[in-house]
Amino acid sequence: MVKMDKKWVILCSTAVAAAYTSGFYSTETQAVKMESAQHNQISLHTKVQQSGTTGNIANYALNQQNKKAKQKYKDGTFTGSGMNRRGDIQVAVTLRKDKIVDVQISNWGMHYSESDVVDLPGQVIQRQSANVGIVSGATYSTEAFTDAVQDAINQAQNS
Amino acid sequence: MRKTKLFMDTVIDIQVVTGNTDNKEEAEAAINRAFEQFRRVEQACSRFSPDSELMQVTRVIGKSVQISRYLFGPLMFALEVAKLTYGKFDPSIGKVMEEQGYNRHYLTSSVINSAAADAVTYRDIILDPSAHTLLLKKPLVIDLGAVAKGFSIDLAANELKEFDGFVINAGGDIFAGGMEQEGIPWKVGIQHPEKKEQIVHVFEISNLAVCTSGSYERRNVKVPGMHHIINPETKKSPNELVSSTVIAPYAMIADTFSTAGFLLGADKGKKLLEEVGLRGLFITSDLQFIHVGGNSNDTKKMD
Repeated sequence: MVKMDKKWVILCSTAVAAAYTSGFYSTETQAVKMESAQHNQISLHTKVQQSGTTGNIANYALNQQNKKAKQKYKDGTFTGSGMNRRGDIQVAVTLRKDKIVDVQISNWGMHYSESDVVDLPGQVIQRQSANVGIVSGATYSTEAFTDAVQDAINQAQNS
Repeated sequence: MRKTKLFMDTVIDIQVVTGNTDNKEEAEAAINRAFEQFRRVEQACSRFSPDSELMQVTRVIGKSVQISRYLFGPLMFALEVAKLTYGKFDPSIGKVMEEQGYNRHYLTSSVINSAAADAVTYRDIILDPSAHTLLLKKPLVIDLGAVAKGFSIDLAANELKEFDGFVINAGGDIFAGGMEQEGIPWKVGIQHPEKKEQIVHVFEISNLAVCTSGSYERRNVKVPGMHHIINPETKKSPNELVSSTVIAPYAMIADTFSTAGFLLGADKGKKLLEEVGLRGLFITSDLQFIHVGGNSNDTKKMD
């Protein structure tokens, strides 16, 4: 590589090391700590302050506010399935206190065709015979998984 | 050993080469710790959850607030890149993103609508490195979409560095550690901007990150020509490039500079990468390649 400006490497290595430093404010406790402070501040901007919520799972947060309310969903890990253009999708969704804490993909049809290097206009590309299983591209969204995640959540619903 | 989970509205795939050794349990524990880093960074930096640390602390205006190191590091990095690019890259873009419809949590589908002043820039965000505090001069929404994922990848890579080979693939942003097999570096293909299943170039790397920003995913469904990368001055999406890839020793560098390069376009983006000493590959809207910097051997020793 060309010699790289050290500044950016130092910023990164410092940020990574800092995450392991003891005695830092964990993000969760910091968030809780903030809650009392925010009430004093929030009124300053109430005219634009609003948080709309839509969608099925959004109700979680509302339920959370009433601590005595029965949980809408059971705690635990629930599997759900869905389809995308490439085939079946299976997910395992872990819920705790009506919050999604983990979504693991157990089966996923998305694959790139191996050694499928194509030419672009005006380019001579060296074709590589080896398999290329890792592909860098614009960050794709999780839209393809929405149905499978919803399916898992439906399994968790308290009757 | 391989596991795939959803974080930050994308698919995070982590694999560790365990070879013929019998350390599968160790590998699984390390992979779980690596995913835990994504969870923590998401909890710290998401602008889609009202209860993330970012959204909690940015409700305080005109007063210093202490913030965690999971938020401080990526925010500091974003502000430095904002300074370097004179605000062409700007983390205060969050409200504009919300208004363009990038406002929905990928798991809960809840929509966020935050308070923000009309004209804001990164200069309205003040960080104090010694006190670890944040001060907002105006109400605004911070978007760390181009930074936080890279930071998570770097933290995850740190959890996996003991292994001879590992790959973290966060929705197309990649860190490849060690070797695929003894003496054979990892091969990372660059996705064709139009033909999703094809690749247009292959980089051989070891202990490096490859991140790509592109306009062919997350397009704005309502406004033609608009996508998730937006110029803060014009509030429009640049369309000179369709894909911008950067290779760097840290994913936070590759992630942020691939977005900054995309925003600046072919000429200025190339200058930016050369100034910083980064290697990259731009693809223009008429599918021309622009290679920037570097030589063909991208291996680097890991600390």
